[in-house]
Amino acid sequence: MSSDSSKKRKPKVIRTDGAAPDGKRSKADAEQDVKYYSEETEVDLRDPGKDYELYKQTCEELQRLMAEIQDLKSKGSKDSAAEIEERRIQSCVHFMTLKKLNRLAHIRLKKGRDQTHEAKQKVDAYHLQLQNLLYEVMHLQKEITKCLEFKSKHEEIELVSVEEFYKEAPPEISKPDITLSDPHHQTLARLDWELEQRKRLAEKYKECLTSKEKILKEIEVKKEYLSSLQPRLNSIMQASLPVQEYLFMPFDQAHKQYETARHLPPPLYVLFVQANAYGQACDKKLSVAIEGSVEEAKALYKPPEDSQDDESDSDAEEEQTTKRRRPTLGVQLDDKRKEMLKRHPLSVTIDLKCKDESVLHLTFYYLMNLNVMTVKTKVTTAVEMTTPISAGDLLSPDSLLNCLYPGDHGKKTPNPANQFQFDKVGILTLNDYVTELGHPYVWVQKLGGLHFPKDQPQHTVTADNSLSASHMEMTMKLLRTRLQSRLALHKQFASLEHGIVPVSSECQQLFPAKVVSRLVKWTAITYEDYLELSYTKDIVEAGLAEDTHLYYMALIERGTAKLQAAVVLNPGYSSMPPIFSLCLTWKGERTNNNDDNIRAMESEVSVFYKELSGPKPGYQLLTNQLQRLCVILDVYLETESHDNSVEGPKEFPQEKMCLRLVRGPSRMKPFKFNHPQGFFSHR
Amino acid sequence: MAPQEMDVQRALELLHMSVFSQSVSPCGKYLAAGNSYGEIGIFSLSAALSAEAKEESKKPVVCFTAHNGPVYALTSTDRQLLSASDGELKAWNWAEIVKKGCKEAWSRRPPYRSSLEVPEINSLQLNLKDNSLLLAGGDCTVHAMDLETGVFTECSRPQYGKWIRCLATDSDWMVCGGGPALTLWHLRSVTPTTVFPLAPAQHHAMFYQDLILCAGQGPTIYHLQLSGDVRAQIPCSPRALHSLCLNQRSPEHKVLTAAGSSHKIDVFTNFGYRAFSLAFA
Repeated sequence: MSSDSSKKRKPKVIRTDGAAPDGKRSKADAEQDVKYYSEETEVDLRDPGKDYELYKQTCEELQRLMAEIQDLKSKGSKDSAAEIEERRIQSCVHFMTLKKLNRLAHIRLKKGRDQTHEAKQKVDAYHLQLQNLLYEVMHLQKEITKCLEFKSKHEEIELVSVEEFYKEAPPEISKPDITLSDPHHQTLARLDWELEQRKRLAEKYKECLTSKEKILKEIEVKKEYLSSLQPRLNSIMQASLPVQEYLFMPFDQAHKQYETARHLPPPLYVLFVQANAYGQACDKKLSVAIEGSVEEAKALYKPPEDSQDDESDSDAEEEQTTKRRRPTLGVQLDDKRKEMLKRHPLSVTIDLKCKDESVLHLTFYYLMNLNVMTVKTKVTTAVEMTTPISAGDLLSPDSLLNCLYPGDHGKKTPNPANQFQFDKVGILTLNDYVTELGHPYVWVQKLGGLHFPKDQPQHTVTADNSLSASHMEMTMKLLRTRLQSRLALHKQFASLEHGIVPVSSECQQLFPAKVVSRLVKWTAITYEDYLELSYTKDIVEAGLAEDTHLYYMALIERGTAKLQAAVVLNPGYSSMPPIFSLCLTWKGERTNNNDDNIRAMESEVSVFYKELSGPKPGYQLLTNQLQRLCVILDVYLETESHDNSVEGPKEFPQEKMCLRLVRGPSRMKPFKFNHPQGFFSHR
Repeated sequence: MAPQEMDVQRALELLHMSVFSQSVSPCGKYLAAGNSYGEIGIFSLSAALSAEAKEESKKPVVCFTAHNGPVYALTSTDRQLLSASDGELKAWNWAEIVKKGCKEAWSRRPPYRSSLEVPEINSLQLNLKDNSLLLAGGDCTVHAMDLETGVFTECSRPQYGKWIRCLATDSDWMVCGGGPALTLWHLRSVTPTTVFPLAPAQHHAMFYQDLILCAGQGPTIYHLQLSGDVRAQIPCSPRALHSLCLNQRSPEHKVLTAAGSSHKIDVFTNFGYRAFSLAFA
């Protein structure tokens, strides 16, 4: 049955399918075959709801039929076959209905899908359009903003302000009638004006450049000209040297000196400058010169790289030498000492000329490591002098400038810091090296501007110009006075050694016409000898006799009386008086210990020395003192009261006129000479 | 003069200074000393004798130039210090003397015969009984001056050859010396009893308790007994002594001071040895 139905159905299906293609194929000959069965159109006509009901009905019928068939079959009766058959046919019909309905459903489905698909496609198309439009909108918006943000280059140009523009620009550019109202045109006009101005300025700039080039070239030319002038001038200077000498105007020499002076160490430089200045301003008889080797001075200041190389080299050398042989400790120390006491290669010489044509030569050195200056002296006299024996020390370079200022003996280094340096290398005192290095007097340091405060070592003491200047005049005067006084003493000593006390005519009035006592001997003695004399103890105790002073012994005689006078000569003669100590040997030894009159005689000569100074500058003090000593010895001997126990006349008859022979509780003799009356009285 | 020169000048002066006279103040605390340059120095004994005396206490409190010539004699009344030099006599008030810039209260010159040479006044002696002052000087004359009126009268003219330097009396006894040797006289009988065996000339002698103290040309003070024995010789610093002074007026400063040919004045607290020295500066 089913195969039958299927067989039956198949042709239906084929027919329908055949109809459909046929329908399609035969669209072309639709007019030929108008009666084809189109189920598709049928679908549009039938109501789906009804089809659904029909379907339900059919299914129910089918189910009923099947159930009936079932019942019938189960009953199993014979007549039921027809009924079964009937029912079977009915169910076949129902099956066909179902198939139809199925087809319809399929077709409907298909149609529905197609429609949905179409609609969807449309929607998609619209959607795409929308997207496109949106994109375009966005794009346009961007473009608009870009355009709105656009900064034209013209806004970066600084234009002149509007008022100025209208003031300065010519009317064909500024076109005020248009531009005033229209900002766009205004800006355009302003830009035009700007352009024009810039063009003009650019031209100007080009012109200036060219002129600058020209001027530079001119400068070059002139420079060359000048540089070629220098050697010509030099040659002229050389040529003028002989003329300078002829005219006594040594400019060249001074110039050279200043050149050399640049290499001096600071204290010597200060000294040089100040001495030169003083010499030019106040003292024509002072001349300054620089001596020494400039190359060595330059070599002292080698650049540091070289010295480092030297160090490394010398280290290598040192190692080598130590391998071979160790230098002895003494030699090392000696070398260190030499190094410490090294002098700067340049030195400053000052020559002081005095009125009598004698010259004092001072050479100043600088000890570099000790920061101390020293001086060496030399005296040249106009006339060759024979030196009297006693005057040996007077002009000796060692002691000539001792105690120029009080207490300045030059035996100790004035820089307190040197003591520590000395301890390292075993030098006791600078005094040992004074003969070769010169004396480190304090006034020398002051002239070099070095000021060492006492007992306080400072790290650096630098040369100070004002210190040097303030001491220059005083020191030069003292130096001259010192030289003059020493020369005067020199002359006097020459005379004293011959037993003559030289008294100048101005001083004759201090003494009576007749002096009988005579100077017999005049010698120099040493400090130790002086200390040993019994009658000098007071003077030594009072601190008036030191080892920086000079000591002499004078012997005055009259008859059997001998007067020994020990003289202390202060280096500061003649502002400091010589001091006398007396010992009279006559009928016993009388000194100030046992005879008040001897004491009075001493005070006559030592204390009242101002009367004996003579004419300024008082260099005759010593000789006048000696003359007075002779006079008062006369008085003493003549006024000695006669000892009646001794037979014979007085050894010394009284020749001097005295008012009174003795006076006062100490029975003083009259030692004071009154001029012009010519008698002796007491003080 | 530069300071250095002034120091040297003063040092020389000090070396050659002689102190000729001394006098104690009425209160006994100060000692006035006159020297050969005409200066009078006032020393404070109380400061020098005190326990914490330093070097400065031994220097004069004040030192001023009193006369042009050496101050040979000093003596004190109860209010004034009288100083005598070359022919002039000056008086100073003790009350003002310690202050600087002291001026003399008055000054007098005794009348002298010769005007060429002005004789010095060697010695002053106060006569309290009739308030007069005796001056003895180099013109071999003794003048008496009335302290109230200031009138001089010439007293006596001893014409002895050898000079008498020192004189001291003590009731019955008188000791005098100078050119002649020191001699002790008994006054009632006016005979010399003892001649002291001292070689140098004696410049000053005084009685003290039962001793005679004297000093002179040598650098010693002699303690002598009336019998003529030399009890002690005390060495002093000056080479020759011109003046001895005993401070009786103040019991706590009772010292003997000796001055002479030196700028130092020795002070003896115990008369047996030198305690310390005051010095001119």
